[in-house]
Amino acid sequence: MSTAADPASSPEASAERTASIAPTVTAAAQQPYDDSAVALSAVDLTLSFGQHTILSNITADIRRGAVTALIGPTGSGKTTLLRTFNRMNDKVSGYRHDGDVLIDGRSIWHPGLELTSLRRRVGMLFQRPNPFPMSILDNVVAGVRAHKMAGKPAMKSIAEQHLTEVGLWAAVKDRLKDSPFRLSGGQQQLLCLARALAIQPDVLLLDEPTSSLDPNATESIEALVRTLVPDITVVIVTHNLAQAVRIADRTIFLNKGRLVEHGPTKQLFENPAEEETANYVGGRFG
Amino acid sequence: MSGAPPQGLARTASGAGLWPSVSRRRRAGNWVFWALCLVALALVITPTLWMVAGIIGRAASHFKFSVLWTSTNNLTGGLRQPILGTVVITFAAIIIGGVISILTGLYLSEFSRHRGERSILRGGYEVLAGIPSIVLGYVGYVALVVDLHWGFGLLPAALVMTVLVIPYVTKATETSLAQVPTGYREGAEALGMSTSYTLRKIVLKAAVPGIVTGALVAIAIAIGETAPLIYTASFSDLAPSLHLTHQALPYLTYLVYFFSSLVQPVNSANILANDAALVLLVLVLVLIIIGRLIAARARRHAES
Repeated sequence: MSTAADPASSPEASAERTASIAPTVTAAAQQPYDDSAVALSAVDLTLSFGQHTILSNITADIRRGAVTALIGPTGSGKTTLLRTFNRMNDKVSGYRHDGDVLIDGRSIWHPGLELTSLRRRVGMLFQRPNPFPMSILDNVVAGVRAHKMAGKPAMKSIAEQHLTEVGLWAAVKDRLKDSPFRLSGGQQQLLCLARALAIQPDVLLLDEPTSSLDPNATESIEALVRTLVPDITVVIVTHNLAQAVRIADRTIFLNKGRLVEHGPTKQLFENPAEEETANYVGGRFG
Repeated sequence: MSGAPPQGLARTASGAGLWPSVSRRRRAGNWVFWALCLVALALVITPTLWMVAGIIGRAASHFKFSVLWTSTNNLTGGLRQPILGTVVITFAAIIIGGVISILTGLYLSEFSRHRGERSILRGGYEVLAGIPSIVLGYVGYVALVVDLHWGFGLLPAALVMTVLVIPYVTKATETSLAQVPTGYREGAEALGMSTSYTLRKIVLKAAVPGIVTGALVAIAIAIGETAPLIYTASFSDLAPSLHLTHQALPYLTYLVYFFSSLVQPVNSANILANDAALVLLVLVLVLIIIGRLIAARARRHAES
């Protein structure tokens, strides 16, 4: 796990490389590394369900305002790691963890941090679009309503703002009262994204958000994800290595529950420090 | 095939040689299966229609709407008190039973963490569903009417009917909650909704059609029950009132059970029994329609 320590080792170099692959790269990526540039960090995190250890001694800083991709073969623990960031695993039977995950330097399991407020700050988008069985409008503002972030009269304009943000407004503005299940899969996923954005999260976790979508929808989700940074920190699990290259500033490669390598995306794909990484990104396993 | 020949032609021309024709055995099998399904359907529908026609036929010749609000007087008159009795008993039972059942179903499907505990509780209400209603009636009679000295009345009748509806509504609640997609719960969790908010606004809402359907089946069954009521409400021609105990009260099924078995010349009693049967039928039908409407409204934003 020699390279696991990540940006602290060579901040300038990594920032430069990141900048060269993506013209949209964020300001945060170019700043020298410091604590305020870390949105989330896993500290020696070990996690198990019953007898099965899913994650072993993961240490990683997720850079604020950047897109970080989690890649690795099936069963490598990338989705488990992602779901740990907003404590979606806590209720799984046999769940146990050691080590810690910090958000703004404080443990996400700190008793003073309410689970609901953690999840408000750390939003999530799932593999399959999961709109609620209510109208399109109600879907967008479901979180806003639950947290009483705005009064009733403001709901429609909030919905419009976020549907516009995800590029769905034109398509749905005449059927806001309709069922979301009549939308296409891609539109449903965009609706879920609008719903997640409406509660103004700091971090957005994406669990293979495009794996059930067609290429066009995938492209619009990817383009959107790039517009979210640097206001929002994005962590995305993907099976699709090309997708990681297209949208991620930084990439973490996991294998068998261990963090193998973490670095700027371009470096990890073109000049990996670990042989394991080279084998995986070169298509020799996984 | 080159060019664009008429479609029918193209089909026969290309189909003939390319595809082996469906074997005679398979064709016969298809036909037999189809016929069996049709026979089964007829077996279900015919007696139902025959019964409905019988009930309407017997009542139609003398039915007057005034029978609905005319007072019952011994074995003659109208159906005012029995209708009120049936409605009040059933309503009380579904309110008390519904609350208990929905909470039980919620517990089983959402809160219980032990498989063993769940299967014991589930076994409990499934056994309850299998107990003959006349046994429930007898237990109600011994425990409530006699031992608690309540006498015949609305309270013991409603409680026994409550026990009768609980298994149906609990089962419906539990299964419809279990069918709520995980995606809804995860989505709600990820938005930081609290457990109670998620349950109230997302999960229960999605389960409403199933719960309502179960409750309606329960109501329809309760409306048609006679045996438990004979033991707990007895019969009288007094309208239901705030006297919850020590006042026997009438209900429609009693008229059907007792009056129709009376031999001539008490013709008026037979007539009343036929009217009661018709009113019961219409009540059940109206309930089913209302339930369908509620379910359709709750499902207007649902998947599929």
